[in-house]
Amino acid sequence: MGNRPIKFRILELFLDEKEHWNYEVVSKVQGEYNMQGNYNRDSINFDIIELASGGMLKDLEQKVDSEGIYKKDFLLHKYVITDFGKVRGSDACLRYV
Amino acid sequence: MDLKALKKQESKRKISKGYMWALFCAVFWGIWYLPGTVVWVLNPFDEMYGAIAETSGDGVSLVVTAVLITAFNALTVMLALMLWNGTLGKFGELVRTMKEFHPCSKWFFLASIFGGPMAILGSFIAMGFIGGAFAAVAALLYPVVGSILAYYWYGEKISKRAAIGIGVIIVGGVTIFGGGLLTELSSGNVQWIGYLGGLMAAAGWGIEGAIAGKGLDIAEPDVGLTLRFVGENIIWWIIIVPVLALVGYPMYSFAFQAFEPLTLLVLIFAGITFGFCYVCWYKSFPLIGVGRGQGIGNLYGLCAIIFIFLFFGDVPQWTILVGGTLCVIGSFVMFTEDTSELETLRGE
Repeated sequence: MGNRPIKFRILELFLDEKEHWNYEVVSKVQGEYNMQGNYNRDSINFDIIELASGGMLKDLEQKVDSEGIYKKDFLLHKYVITDFGKVRGSDACLRYV
Repeated sequence: MDLKALKKQESKRKISKGYMWALFCAVFWGIWYLPGTVVWVLNPFDEMYGAIAETSGDGVSLVVTAVLITAFNALTVMLALMLWNGTLGKFGELVRTMKEFHPCSKWFFLASIFGGPMAILGSFIAMGFIGGAFAAVAALLYPVVGSILAYYWYGEKISKRAAIGIGVIIVGGVTIFGGGLLTELSSGNVQWIGYLGGLMAAAGWGIEGAIAGKGLDIAEPDVGLTLRFVGENIIWWIIIVPVLALVGYPMYSFAFQAFEPLTLLVLIFAGITFGFCYVCWYKSFPLIGVGRGQGIGNLYGLCAIIFIFLFFGDVPQWTILVGGTLCVIGSFVMFTEDTSELETLRGE
C-alpha cells in the first residue's frame, strides 16, 4: 500500500528518466494504492495531466487506444520527466536514482 | 479520427475544463458576498459589535467582530470541504499529503496565512465598513499580485494576450473602486479602514495563489485546499481568538451564541459557497495557470454586483457598471486565447 501522496509516487516512477506510457503508470499506482475502478483510474490519470501541465513531465508521444488497453478510442500518452520535474521530485525528498 | 485531431481535441478539452472551473469559482465567489454581508446584521455579531464599540470604539470593534466572523467562515468552509473530500474518497490522500509537511503541506499552511488573516479578514472588514459591492470589487486587483509573483518566482509564462486581459480587468477594477472613493472623498467622510480591508483582500489573495501554486505542483487540489483551511482554522481558533479572549474581548461568550438557526444557516451558506469557490479556483490553476485562473475567477466581481442587486436591491453606480463591463471584456480577451499556446505553462 502506497504511503506517500499519489503525485509524489508518480514523480518517483518517472525519476528513472525512462519514458512511460500513462496507462502503465496508472495501473501501477492503482495496484499500489489499492484504488480499483474507472473513477480512480481517471483521477490518477488526471494527476499525470496536472504534472505535465505544471511542466514536470513532458508529453513525448501519443497513440490512439484502438484496442482498449486503457480507454478505447482515447489518446494514450507517453511521458518523460523534465529537469524541472527532477528538481521538484528531489524537493519532495524522493530518491533520485 | 486521426491522431492530430484527437490531440487537438484533448488539449482543447483540458483547457476549456480549466476555464470552466475558473468560471464556477467566479459564480460561487460572487454569491459568497450575500451571506458575508448579511451576517453582520445577525446576532451575535450585531450585538458583539455594539458591545465592544462601547468600550473600545468603532474601529477596534469592527476588526474584532470581523475576526470572529472570519473564524466561523473558516470553520464552515472546512466542514464543507471535509464533506467534499469524503464524497470523492480522498481522505487517504489527505492524510498522506498532510504528513509531507516539509516538501508539500507547508505551502498550504503558508498560503492560509495570506488567504485567511489577510485576504478574508480584509474582505469582511470591507463588507462591514463599506459594503459587499465595494469589498468584492476592491479585491479585483489580486491577479496582478498573483501573476507577477508567479512569473518572478517560478517562471510561469504570461502570454501577451493574458497580460492585456489582466490589464483591462485592472482598469475595470480601478473604475469601480475609484467611483465609490471619489463620492466619499467629496462628502469628506472616508472609511479608511474599509479601504485598507479591500487592499488586504487584493494583496492577500494574490500572494496566496502564488504560494499555493508551489504546493499544488505536487498535490491534489481538493486535498491541498482542505489543508489550507485546516491551517486557517488553526490560526483563528488556536491562536488569534484565544489571544483576543486573553486580552479581554468577549470572544467565547459571543462565539457560543452563534449557534442559533438563522445565524448558523447563513454561516453554512457562506461555508458552502466559499468552499466550492476555492475548490474551483484551485482546480483551474494546474490546467490554465495561476494568472489565467485568477483572471477568469475575477468575474466574481461582476457576479457579486449582480447578486447584491438581485437580493438586496442595491442599484450600482455607473462607475460600477462601466468597471464591471471592462472586467468582462478583459476576461474574454483571456478566454479566447489560442489554446495551442497553453500546452505547458512553464518556460523550459
